[in-house]
Amino acid sequence: MHLLLIEDDAEAARFLAKGLRESGYVVDIAADGREGLFRATEGTYDLIVADRQLPHFDGLSIVAMLRRNGRHTPVLILSALGSVDDRIEGLRAGGDDYLTKPFAFGELLARIEALLRRGNQPEVTTRIKIADLELDLLGRKVSRAGKAIDVTSKEFQLLEFLARRVGQVVTRTMLLEAVWDLHFDPQTNVIDVHVSRLRAAIDKGFERPLLHTVRGAGYVLRDAS
Amino acid sequence: MRLSSARLALLYTALVTLLTGVLLVSVYLLTRSALEREIAAVVRAEVEDLADDLRLGGLDRLVATLNLRSDSWGRTGAVFLLADSNFRHVAGNLTEWPRDIPATPAAMVEFEIIARERDLRVLHPVEARIERLSNGYWLLVGADTSERQNVLRRFGLATLWGVALTALCVWLLGAAYARRTARRVRGYADTCESIIQGDLTQRLHVDGSGDEFDALAAAVNGMLDRIEQQTTTLRAAFDSIAHDLRTPLYRLRMRLEEAQLRNSGDAEPSRETLEIIGPALEELDRVQRTLATLLAIARAEAQGVTTHADRVDFAALTANLVELYAPGMRAAGLDVACDAAASATLTGNRQLLAQLITNLLENALKYVPSGGQVRVRVASSPQSIELTVADNGPGIAAEDRAAALQPFVRVGDSSRTSGSGLGLSLAAAVARLHRARLTLGDNAPGLIVRVEFPTDTRS
Repeated sequence: MHLLLIEDDAEAARFLAKGLRESGYVVDIAADGREGLFRATEGTYDLIVADRQLPHFDGLSIVAMLRRNGRHTPVLILSALGSVDDRIEGLRAGGDDYLTKPFAFGELLARIEALLRRGNQPEVTTRIKIADLELDLLGRKVSRAGKAIDVTSKEFQLLEFLARRVGQVVTRTMLLEAVWDLHFDPQTNVIDVHVSRLRAAIDKGFERPLLHTVRGAGYVLRDAS
Repeated sequence: MRLSSARLALLYTALVTLLTGVLLVSVYLLTRSALEREIAAVVRAEVEDLADDLRLGGLDRLVATLNLRSDSWGRTGAVFLLADSNFRHVAGNLTEWPRDIPATPAAMVEFEIIARERDLRVLHPVEARIERLSNGYWLLVGADTSERQNVLRRFGLATLWGVALTALCVWLLGAAYARRTARRVRGYADTCESIIQGDLTQRLHVDGSGDEFDALAAAVNGMLDRIEQQTTTLRAAFDSIAHDLRTPLYRLRMRLEEAQLRNSGDAEPSRETLEIIGPALEELDRVQRTLATLLAIARAEAQGVTTHADRVDFAALTANLVELYAPGMRAAGLDVACDAAASATLTGNRQLLAQLITNLLENALKYVPSGGQVRVRVASSPQSIELTVADNGPGIAAEDRAAALQPFVRVGDSSRTSGSGLGLSLAAAVARLHRARLTLGDNAPGLIVRVEFPTDTRS
């Protein structure tokens, strides 16, 4: 996968590029808005990571211009501006996701992966099956090895989110945004308790654990065997 | 709403009506007295003429003159009577001396006569002068005043109509002016209300007439321009503060993460990671959260208005967030219940409102010891929507409550609990932004936090 990173802070760019390359991505770096826009329009990238505050053109203008020219490359915006209004502005300009600095690298990785997978997934409408776990999306019911499992509505939403991203790391922030529509960081890790209860419901008493914690990043639903 | 302009119009109407009334009534009275005097003068002149006749030509001449004059009753309405010293008719068109009039010479008297008009007997009022002649006879000369009285009556009626019409016209004009003024003022009030609600771009309407309303509007608009400019400057300042503080934090985090990766990668975390880097990253996150909260408070206060506002079902939002915190709270040994069934909609910033609610829930989670109780309630009435978060924990002493809402103040043992001490002050700032009132009270025992939002007066 080919990524374009538009970041004027050289040190940040170096760090991010290194981390992304180590995760298997090919990364090009642009150091200002003008170069970023040029590379974005000339090259073909699978995803663009753009800082919002850049010399020459800011990240939002770049995205807006790309969208006007019919380019639908997913764009993840990074910014020190983190208010709700700033986020809404970023998404309205055409951005696909928005991360406030400072963020954990694991968060960035998880979201890049989510954006990349998003395009490739077929429209899942009725059922999701992972190993012997089955989700009935229409009936809002869960079963494993044929046995029905009792979960609350919110737990089902959590599970659905994880199941639709099977094999991808999902961060706590992503879960809070998707299931509770919260775009800020609560102090306590309240979501951990929900995930533990979900794990107890779907993994306890079964042979293969499916819901795993990824240290320092989040959670992943995957058949490890 | 009592308008002073309506009262002013009423007062004005009353004054004008009074003055006009006084004027017209004066004219009426003057006219009446003028007419009276005229009749009196004419009658006196007539009497003198007749007295001359008597002096010059004796009784016969007087009688002859009288007979002549009496014929003209139909034309002039003049009444004559010459009576002897016993008041018996001698000459004149009056048949007998009128009864019930004082026999004082040189006096004006009033009485009624019966005149025949086209076979009808009609009463006519007469004003006359009585004279005692030199030969002892009595002379009465008068005039029919029915015409005069008609005129006066009509004039009086016209006067009344005039006063009434004046009153009506003045009232209509006054009311129209009052309404126009009131509409203008209400227009200003509406514009100000929408500015308060969020639209800082609105300005008061100036109609170009240069009157005092325009002057007021221009002054207020100038003030609003200034505020808008200051808000823009402040917002730019916050953006650059955000950038300047967050960039070093970001760099710091990157270095720590790099060190962490260097030390462990995917394998078991090293001692260094566990003891140094991990905690360092946690502290960094704590600083970052404090910064985010401070910026959120500052923006909420500086904006003064909500820039991004939606219709939010506050009850559903509360229930949603209590559901998020409930398992964590139960795991901490707290009994939590939420009563937010009926929908309660208000206009506001959903994320900021969510932050308000979560701050209150997090405080409960932090301060209420295991075994305690937390009750969350959203109640809606036509005027307001009220959120209450009540617990039976240690509460906040009355003397500490005002300070607790200030930034960075933490009540109780601050070393025991994590957090920045900003939770309540952000909640208070968000409440202010939504024109709500946040109060802390004694739940006897424990703390009860009440946030009262006014519902929109116009949707």
